[in-house]
Amino acid sequence: MGPQIIRRLIISLPALVGVLFLCFCLLQVVPTDPARIIAGPDAKPEEVAAVREELGLDRPIIVQFVEYITRVARGDLGRSIISNKQVLEELAETVGPTAELMVGAMVLAVPIGLLLGTLAAVRRGSLIDRFIMAISVAGVSMPVFFIGLLLIQYVGFQWDLLPFTGRIGPVWAGGLPALVLPALTLGSVLIGPIARITRTAVLEVLGADFVRTARAKGLTERVVIIHHALRNALIPVVTLIGLQAAFLLGGAVVTETMFSWPGVGRLAVGAIISSDFPTAQGAIMILAMAFLLINLLVDVLYVYLDPRVARS
Amino acid sequence: MSGAIASPAPAGLEGRAGVIARLARDRVALVAAVVLAALVLAALAAPLIAPYDPYYTDLAKTMSPPDAEHWFGTDNTGRDILSRVLYGTRNTLMMGLAGVLIGGLIGAALGIVAAFYRRLDPWIMRLVDIMLAFPAILIGLAVAAIFGAGLTAVIVALVVSTVPDVARVSRGSAIGIMGQEFMEAGRAVGVSNRTLILRYLTLNCISTISVFLTLRFGQVILVGSALGFLGMGAQPPEAELGMMAAQGRDFLLMAPHIATIPSLFIFVIVLAANLLGDAVRDVLDPRLQQ
Repeated sequence: MGPQIIRRLIISLPALVGVLFLCFCLLQVVPTDPARIIAGPDAKPEEVAAVREELGLDRPIIVQFVEYITRVARGDLGRSIISNKQVLEELAETVGPTAELMVGAMVLAVPIGLLLGTLAAVRRGSLIDRFIMAISVAGVSMPVFFIGLLLIQYVGFQWDLLPFTGRIGPVWAGGLPALVLPALTLGSVLIGPIARITRTAVLEVLGADFVRTARAKGLTERVVIIHHALRNALIPVVTLIGLQAAFLLGGAVVTETMFSWPGVGRLAVGAIISSDFPTAQGAIMILAMAFLLINLLVDVLYVYLDPRVARS
Repeated sequence: MSGAIASPAPAGLEGRAGVIARLARDRVALVAAVVLAALVLAALAAPLIAPYDPYYTDLAKTMSPPDAEHWFGTDNTGRDILSRVLYGTRNTLMMGLAGVLIGGLIGAALGIVAAFYRRLDPWIMRLVDIMLAFPAILIGLAVAAIFGAGLTAVIVALVVSTVPDVARVSRGSAIGIMGQEFMEAGRAVGVSNRTLILRYLTLNCISTISVFLTLRFGQVILVGSALGFLGMGAQPPEAELGMMAAQGRDFLLMAPHIATIPSLFIFVIVLAANLLGDAVRDVLDPRLQQ
């Protein structure tokens, strides 16, 4: 297991440098002078020059990049042009809500996906099976924002069941109602793939010898399916969930924008639209790093769950 | 008795006709193909069949629901939604196609070169690994932030996100073909590397790669329209389905059709593409099923 993880870390390293370089470029390739942007629109020439010197913009690119990395390592991501707050501060406020949204999406999607997939497998070939598979194909083909729009229009507005703009607060402080619709929107992307892979995995396991043995022992069908079949079918499902967790980040950007959810994705989109490059750079960096981290964790988890991987 | 010589060509044709016949027998695939073809034709013919100018604003008739005059209603500035959807479908399909084709071309070239020149393999695959580390939406955000939002930014993002997966698939397929006897035979009779790569390797990988690209098309459209929805793609007054859905979002409670109709079109395009992709895969390359 050890070498596998180290190898994986080594692969992540250039990707991390890539992320940093991309973010560094965000402050370089922009058509305007970054020093002027950071100094502000009304700054006098000497102020701009001071900022340029302070940022080391007169030095070679490589030196600037190394300095940029050291600054980032110290947590200095610059100041937002719009709010003049430290970018790190803004990020700290938004990371929590994004994590909350992603966890909420998983909590809703995983049980529904497992249930539908198992049901489809157990009733293979029946109308229920076909219906569930049709839903999952449709779900995979739906744009995230379409599901969000429908939920806002019906559940939020016409039936007036749940709030659909903004975040009230943490879940433990009465924030749950506001979380439901965004989490459902984001989670809906996962339900189809989870149901599909659960169905395949359960079908495979249902044909295995130990399931036949369990049945032969006279266990009830429920026990056989839940304790014997589903449990052993979980490895591919867990892998898929892990892989999808990384893709959830992309969906989170859209969902946050739709529901005015104060997360990193919305921060990034807003910053790009208003040309707030320091904030955009910070937000994109955090999202990319989260993506790398999740992928890394999934690989580690995979090795842990299925020891055969480590040996290959 | 020219059968022995004449047989290769008819066999090839028969094979192709067989594939289409098998696809046509799959009723779901048939419907998906017809729907997709109709949408592509409608998009191509948009300037001819659009009932109104997609940019013409009629402030006397804003946000009106679908009626006989405007089949899909009008948007917040009184533009005809049917006309805009036709033009928007054009942009959306073009964006997806460009992403899949350009990304497919670059990815296939990388994968095949990696399989042929084994010394380059680790370098190319390392690069692919790094590219895989960025989710498509994030690439789109970064590209839009650096070069400014627009269709080009979205296409660049779609290309970058398509390349690594295609490179992996075509490398795998090409490595399999490298081990075949005809490759060795080609080398033995002194066929140049260029011909070996283009005629021997690439032609034999094409079916796997094209099946993979068909499967990817729907996903690429989804990502592209999501970027459009976020405002990173086509800019107003240009029409693109994702962007139109975003514009309608602000009037969702008053006039839901403005956002719903473009979204529905994206859904239908992606669903048809996915169903067709699944069917093509089952017929041409069942191994890809995992």
